Amino acid sequence: MHIFSGTRGLQGDANPIVFIHGTGMDHTVWTLFARYFLRHGRDVLSVDLPGHGKSKGPLLDSIESLSSNLLNYLDSRNINKFSVVGHSMGSLIALEAASTQPERVNSLVMIGTALPMAVSEALLDLAKRNDPGAIDILTFMGYSNNARIGNNKNPGMWMTEGTRRLMQRSSKDVIFKDLMACSNYADGLEKAKNVSANTLLILGENDYLTPRHRAKDLINNFESVKVKEIRNSGHTMMVENPNLVLDYLSEIL
Amino acid sequence: MKKPQDLKPDTLSLHAGQRPDKEHGARATPIYQTSSFVFEDTESAAGIFNVERTGHVYSRITNPTNAVLEERISALEGAIGSIATSSGQAALHLAIATIVNSGQHIVASNCLYGGSHNLLEYTLPRFGIETSFVDFRDLDAVKDAIKGNTRLVFGETLGNPGLDVMDIQQISDLAHDNGIPLLVDSTFTTPHLMKPINYGADLIFHSATKFLSGHGVVIGGLLVDSGNFIWDQNDNFPQLSKPYKGFHDMVFTEEFGPAAFINRARKEGARDFGACMSPHTAFLILQGVETLGLRMDRHVQTTREIVNFLSQHKAVSSVSYPELESHPDHELAKKILPNGCGAVFTFELKGGKKAGQNFIENLNIFSHLANVGDSKSLVIHPSSTTHHRMDEAALKKAGISEGTVRLSVGLEDIEDLKDDLDTGLRSALKTS
Repeated sequence: MHIFSGTRGLQGDANPIVFIHGTGMDHTVWTLFARYFLRHGRDVLSVDLPGHGKSKGPLLDSIESLSSNLLNYLDSRNINKFSVVGHSMGSLIALEAASTQPERVNSLVMIGTALPMAVSEALLDLAKRNDPGAIDILTFMGYSNNARIGNNKNPGMWMTEGTRRLMQRSSKDVIFKDLMACSNYADGLEKAKNVSANTLLILGENDYLTPRHRAKDLINNFESVKVKEIRNSGHTMMVENPNLVLDYLSEIL
Repeated sequence: MKKPQDLKPDTLSLHAGQRPDKEHGARATPIYQTSSFVFEDTESAAGIFNVERTGHVYSRITNPTNAVLEERISALEGAIGSIATSSGQAALHLAIATIVNSGQHIVASNCLYGGSHNLLEYTLPRFGIETSFVDFRDLDAVKDAIKGNTRLVFGETLGNPGLDVMDIQQISDLAHDNGIPLLVDSTFTTPHLMKPINYGADLIFHSATKFLSGHGVVIGGLLVDSGNFIWDQNDNFPQLSKPYKGFHDMVFTEEFGPAAFINRARKEGARDFGACMSPHTAFLILQGVETLGLRMDRHVQTTREIVNFLSQHKAVSSVSYPELESHPDHELAKKILPNGCGAVFTFELKGGKKAGQNFIENLNIFSHLANVGDSKSLVIHPSSTTHHRMDEAALKKAGISEGTVRLSVGLEDIEDLKDDLDTGLRSALKTS
């Protein structure tokens, strides 16, 4: 599994931070945040899930198998305890990991999440055919109306095209398998009851892919959880409001 | 499922990159005429410097007014990001300096803007960068010119001044087959007439002085990154795929993925070469971009009428415009430039140099100057001005003779323009 750990690499931090990207993405979505925690002396493992970015396949098509794969990888690196941050599909993998091995997870952060994370048949059908229209829909729905006009906090960068380009780098079937994994994750609400980690949900007010009201049951099932809502933001909060996301992450991690 | 409807170009021209100012509610883009920006606190300052937080530090690197222009052009081009530069030449230099090292090589079209030709032919060799100039219509010649140390292929959407239409798809395929990117100068067409990224261009640059502005009051450029090129597919671009000591061993491909190039260009090129755009200039260019679609349509409409007028005039021996069947790239132009081939073209006067001089000196509305893309109509005699450093053979290769006249058609009333040209042409006839 390919991970980004900065130039310093892993140095035995007792509470390293694992970042997990979403559908069709890779570790580069976490660069700003990873750099912050690296500068503050934390170990960071920003992963490319199997078949994504620079990680070789095979593709896994369930949240459970993606989580298991990740936990096995952490075992191989002798990482016992850790904190985990996931976005969208990555948030489900993070939840699964924090639920199946709660003793290992200090903090859990789920960004742009909902349960169930149902995906429409029409979108699945496009993705199954590797139709570029699937990426167009995910890109479009992945941003707020505000972001479609722009005014990026990152100067000179056009947000939606940046996301589209990253997803376009995905190999065949990646988007479909990812969406299937999200759609088929049926036990998430029950799994939330097993979580003992400090838990934070970061939700976007104008998230069209995982609307905030669809996180309500999930929030109710955690024993203890904090929720931060980012005003005017869509699903891709790390791009739309990176500084605010970092502020929230630095509070809990 | 309903297809997502991204905002259309005319909407993006007015809005992309800018929301009303939160503090005062200003609808127009404010001019942030400041060299530097105050940090909230020491921690956030460290965060911005270390690329953990977004924000502005110093206007040589980024500026909020420039950022609106950069984002707007990125949106119009379908690109991931842009950098505003002090001129189009600075944008070309920034592109080359970011990815080409001393001892390496460029393959360029032999029909380039004179300024670009000067940089590649005379100046870059001083820094160890050589260029082979090739007829881009001859794909075998382009292929043969690419060597092991070639790091860039470069041409113009419409060659200068003969309006050779670049077959971007074919040329980009050749470049990509060799693991190198294609850079395209899209100044003559602007994103309103063609988006080179749709045909495989990896990098684009504009002289924003021209049609993007339209008013001819500023000098500026933009370097645009499609985000498509995979910079770590081979070892050709260690600047992007290996640790950079100038930024704490950052590996740009590893940290920025598709945005590796544009980040390196800003973090190194904008920082170290310093050819930045003034915020006031960015503001003025934005005023032009707001009406880009309207102006380009009018430019094309008037140009078509003038091309037709000149084609039938007895003082003119030929007109070179890709929409004419006589142009060698007519079929390609129909395919990739269906909305028009811009507003700059050349024609040949009967009577050679003297006729050309008489023609230009008897014009009243067309201004004789070295620029194109103004809302005001312009005229120039390339062999004695913009291309005067080229020898006869090079001029011939570029399709320029002593009787070649270049027009940049503006937005004036079409009848006034035709009357003006007719006056000049009748004077030219007297010469011949």
